[in-house]
Amino acid sequence: MASAASAPSRAEVLSLFRSLLRTAAKFTDYNVREYAKRRTIDGFRENRGLSDPSSIASAFADGRNQLEVAMRQVVVYSLYAPKVKSVMEIGSG
Amino acid sequence: MAAALRPAILRHIRIPVRTVSRSRPLACLNPLSTSMIRSMSSHGDDHLTKEEVIERVLDVVKNFPKVDPSKVNPDVHFQKDLGLDSLDNVEIVMALEEEFKLEIPDKEADKIDSCSLAIEYISNHPMAV
Repeated sequence: MASAASAPSRAEVLSLFRSLLRTAAKFTDYNVREYAKRRTIDGFRENRGLSDPSSIASAFADGRNQLEVAMRQVVVYSLYAPKVKSVMEIGSG
Repeated sequence: MAAALRPAILRHIRIPVRTVSRSRPLACLNPLSTSMIRSMSSHGDDHLTKEEVIERVLDVVKNFPKVDPSKVNPDVHFQKDLGLDSLDNVEIVMALEEEFKLEIPDKEADKIDSCSLAIEYISNHPMAV
């Protein structure tokens, strides 16, 4: 289904990174939220050194798909939001 | 008999109308009147002071895992002075958004690449908490 996309520009990659982080921040569940943030950062950092345009394009497409998954899951999780805050979210002091 | 009684009673009840000369100017038109200055109003305190913004921005940057806190000062540039890359830049701006409860549009966020720009943007943002 994905057409042969040309390599994304630097701005597009950073925009995808930001969108993923923003979406991750919307999760109501502490664990999933932290995981999504961590995974985004690790994933982008891991692929930082890619130089081949087709692998960059496929990694970008992967990221796009993950963004869609995350956006859907934010909605689903919000329907079952926990009533009590996780202990990790209680500020220190 | 009732006819004579009625005016007598009304005369007793009715208060005579007096006209007051409006020579005294309205107080609200006088700009120097102290009633204009709401000295007890706390509305002006809603905005953050510059020092508070600087302190909180520096705290966020110092707490960033890849940053060496001793190098952080209000003039520091994220990529040139702290050795961060563009991904770290996005992360730091996200952390600042969380700290000040802001939503910075992408175009503006791309321009913030140093502490001084961050401090300036946040200080000028009306919604910063």
